[in-house]
Amino acid sequence: MRILRLLAIHLRLALSGALAYRADFLIHLFESLLEFGTGLGGLALVFSHTQTLGGWSAPEVVALTGVFFIVGGAVRFAVQPAMESLIESVRDGTLDFTLVKPVDSQVLVGLKRFEIWKLVDVLMGLAVLAVALWKLGAAVGLGDALRFAVALAAGGAIVYSFWLMLATLSFWFVRVENILVIFQSLYEAGRWPVNLYPGWLRFLLTFLVPVAFATTVPAEALSGRIGWEKILLSLGVAAGMLVLSRLFWKIGSRHYSGASA
Amino acid sequence: MTAIRVRELRKQYRVSEREAGLWSSVKSLVRRKTRTVSAVDGISFDIAPGEIVGFLGPNGAGKTTTLKMLSGLLHPSSGEIEVLGQVPWKRHADFLGRMSLVMGQRNQLVWDIPAVETFELNRAIYRIPMAQYRETLDELVDLLDLKAVMGAPVRNLSLGERMKCELTAALLHRPKVVFLDEPTIGLDVTMQRRLRDFISQYRRVHGATVLLTSHYMADVEALCRRVIVIHRGRLLFDGDLGALVGRFAAHKLISIHLATPCAGLAQYGELVSDEEGHVTLRVPKAETPRVTARLLAELPITDLTVEDPPIDEVISRVFTEGAV
Amino acid sequence: MNGLLGVYLQQWKISLAETFQYRAAMAIWLIGHVLEPLLYLVVWSAVAGANGGRVGGMGRGDFAAYFIALLLVNHVTYTWIMWEMEHRIRHGALSFALLKPLHPVHADIAANLASKLITFPVILLAAGALALLFKPAFHPSSWSVLAFLPSLLLAFLLRFALEWVLALAAFWTTRIGAVNQAYFVTALFFSGQIAPLALLPSPMAFLSKILPFRWTAGFPVDLLLGRLDPHEALHGFLAQGAWILGILLVARVLWRAALRRYSAVGS
Repeated sequence: MRILRLLAIHLRLALSGALAYRADFLIHLFESLLEFGTGLGGLALVFSHTQTLGGWSAPEVVALTGVFFIVGGAVRFAVQPAMESLIESVRDGTLDFTLVKPVDSQVLVGLKRFEIWKLVDVLMGLAVLAVALWKLGAAVGLGDALRFAVALAAGGAIVYSFWLMLATLSFWFVRVENILVIFQSLYEAGRWPVNLYPGWLRFLLTFLVPVAFATTVPAEALSGRIGWEKILLSLGVAAGMLVLSRLFWKIGSRHYSGASA
Repeated sequence: MTAIRVRELRKQYRVSEREAGLWSSVKSLVRRKTRTVSAVDGISFDIAPGEIVGFLGPNGAGKTTTLKMLSGLLHPSSGEIEVLGQVPWKRHADFLGRMSLVMGQRNQLVWDIPAVETFELNRAIYRIPMAQYRETLDELVDLLDLKAVMGAPVRNLSLGERMKCELTAALLHRPKVVFLDEPTIGLDVTMQRRLRDFISQYRRVHGATVLLTSHYMADVEALCRRVIVIHRGRLLFDGDLGALVGRFAAHKLISIHLATPCAGLAQYGELVSDEEGHVTLRVPKAETPRVTARLLAELPITDLTVEDPPIDEVISRVFTEGAV
Repeated sequence: MNGLLGVYLQQWKISLAETFQYRAAMAIWLIGHVLEPLLYLVVWSAVAGANGGRVGGMGRGDFAAYFIALLLVNHVTYTWIMWEMEHRIRHGALSFALLKPLHPVHADIAANLASKLITFPVILLAAGALALLFKPAFHPSSWSVLAFLPSLLLAFLLRFALEWVLALAAFWTTRIGAVNQAYFVTALFFSGQIAPLALLPSPMAFLSKILPFRWTAGFPVDLLLGRLDPHEALHGFLAQGAWILGILLVARVLWRAALRRYSAVGS
């Protein structure tokens, strides 16, 4: 309960901060529209030359694009700002203030900073997803929707854990920002169904940088091409990653020595 | 013959006024309300070749704006400037090659590599002949004791070491005019003194004209006989440092030695210190002769001196009260 | 000119040292450079696969050759000046550049070339690895390979001039991100990054002919792969030259305006 209250307080703070820079909203909307135009324009170009792509129909890939933007937007809204702020605070020693608070520090770190306007990406992703669903029509059953929701949540947890582990590296190394770029670059691969990629890249995107669980798997669930067993796998990976990142965080923060670097 | 000539120099900025509220921010997209602010408001002065002048004023007085106009980074709104016979904002290579601007809070050195590489780059940019470069560099390295730090990446240097390298980079081409904006900011006292000596020596050896701003009055006292004081963009004072004190000090300090301890000294003036018969009183300037006479007449005095207050105090009074 | 050469050499040395300092960061940035053409390579191969092996006259091997060549060309021509300029203005570093009796563009060119000297071998390795994995169909003619080098040089100059001019936008607005993104989206479609230009539908194909972007990437790639006849190649060189001249003229005017603006407002 207290975590929810903390979340509400931090969100309110972030919102009032964001409202002070309202022009940013328009700018971000513009950038976001460009981003979507690029994504959908690329799809249109590809599908003007073919009916299916690796066995996926156009509306199915549009749905994937929606998921890609929802997860990407959520990361840019909450995960990335919090992790960047974590890295900064490890370097300048202000993490001290977080560690002495009587709340779980991993939770507190996660609530540190929000980029409110990035929610625009999430909303537009939802809109794209809605259009795709409408095109897919009756093909999406209740079971598919349920599996989609579970897969999306698991994918979110996996991405969060992955980011947390990358950011936790800052307890040992000074320049970690660059490592974050790895995820951002590879996330781009999530625009397309991972089954297009050659085996080594698919393996990389599934197990090393888990982009596939966050994008392809939920979209697959939606188009009814996977059953519960793959969803269970996704859940299992999510649980494993959450535990692992928690452990990593614990060891890392024990390693923290104030602003020595 | 003047090195720097400034006439009725003005710099005005338009700043947009923002009001709170969504509607007014939408409105401001269409038409923006602006207001004109004068950073520099009609100042004139001349500086002779080889002269070193302290340029004083509180934060926001227009010092940095003036220095940027003098070095050609800013275009004046009106008025005339001539530095070394050139109009700075035209940015002729000939002008740029004979002057230097050093800003204490910013650096031109490349952060991740040794300072000597930036020196080499400046040698190429300013087309300094190799022999002259070697000679100047040796001289600067010697004066500033740079031998050990020149080869280390700039980010590993202390603030003082970095500033010494900044100065070296700025002076390698032997500029005839040097603008120094807070060159000693953030440095410890020893390092400040060191840089001061260095600036003074550079000016002597190369006959350079120097205009210096500093928050530390010690810098100004040590280096400059002449000071120019500006406040809110206007010229407040231009002349001898001693005359500045004479003109702006509202008080004098009377210090006396007493043969026997006395009570009731406060009636003569504000008691600044009272230690074993050595007493210092602060007295309004106009009252000084009268109080001195009374002290001599009424107290057992063995010694009496009348002094101006410390320059810091005078300057800060000028700045806080904007006194004229 | 001897003096200018000295500046280039020293700036080169400095940039090499700096790039070397950040080699880990560079390696990570390179992932993005390699990934983008790789994704489109995979996607278009899949499209070809789903349509009997060929799309618009190109098979899997052709796509592989196209995107691997594009990776190399892109790496030679890319710049980061649009971010650099904004950063420079915001942090006051531009003032130092302006105090020097030399145009700042020289330092930019030298720094760009120097950093690529270090990263290009890495990209070459990556291209080699991709070639092993995707088996490109590479059968060029000897004249077009020879013509490729000057076209690459002109593509670099054109892109550098274009992005340097766009970077001047930072003198007027702090919202440089939006400007950059608009540019990159346009360039993505019209330079041949997202697909070989021959695959663009007709209104876009027309636009790609009148915009400068194809001459920065699609043209040298097509030339290298031997997909152009001598007449088209000549046309390309003339277009590259004309665009470079035009942009340089604009650059001259805009740079003066930018300086006027900078010296009116300061930083």
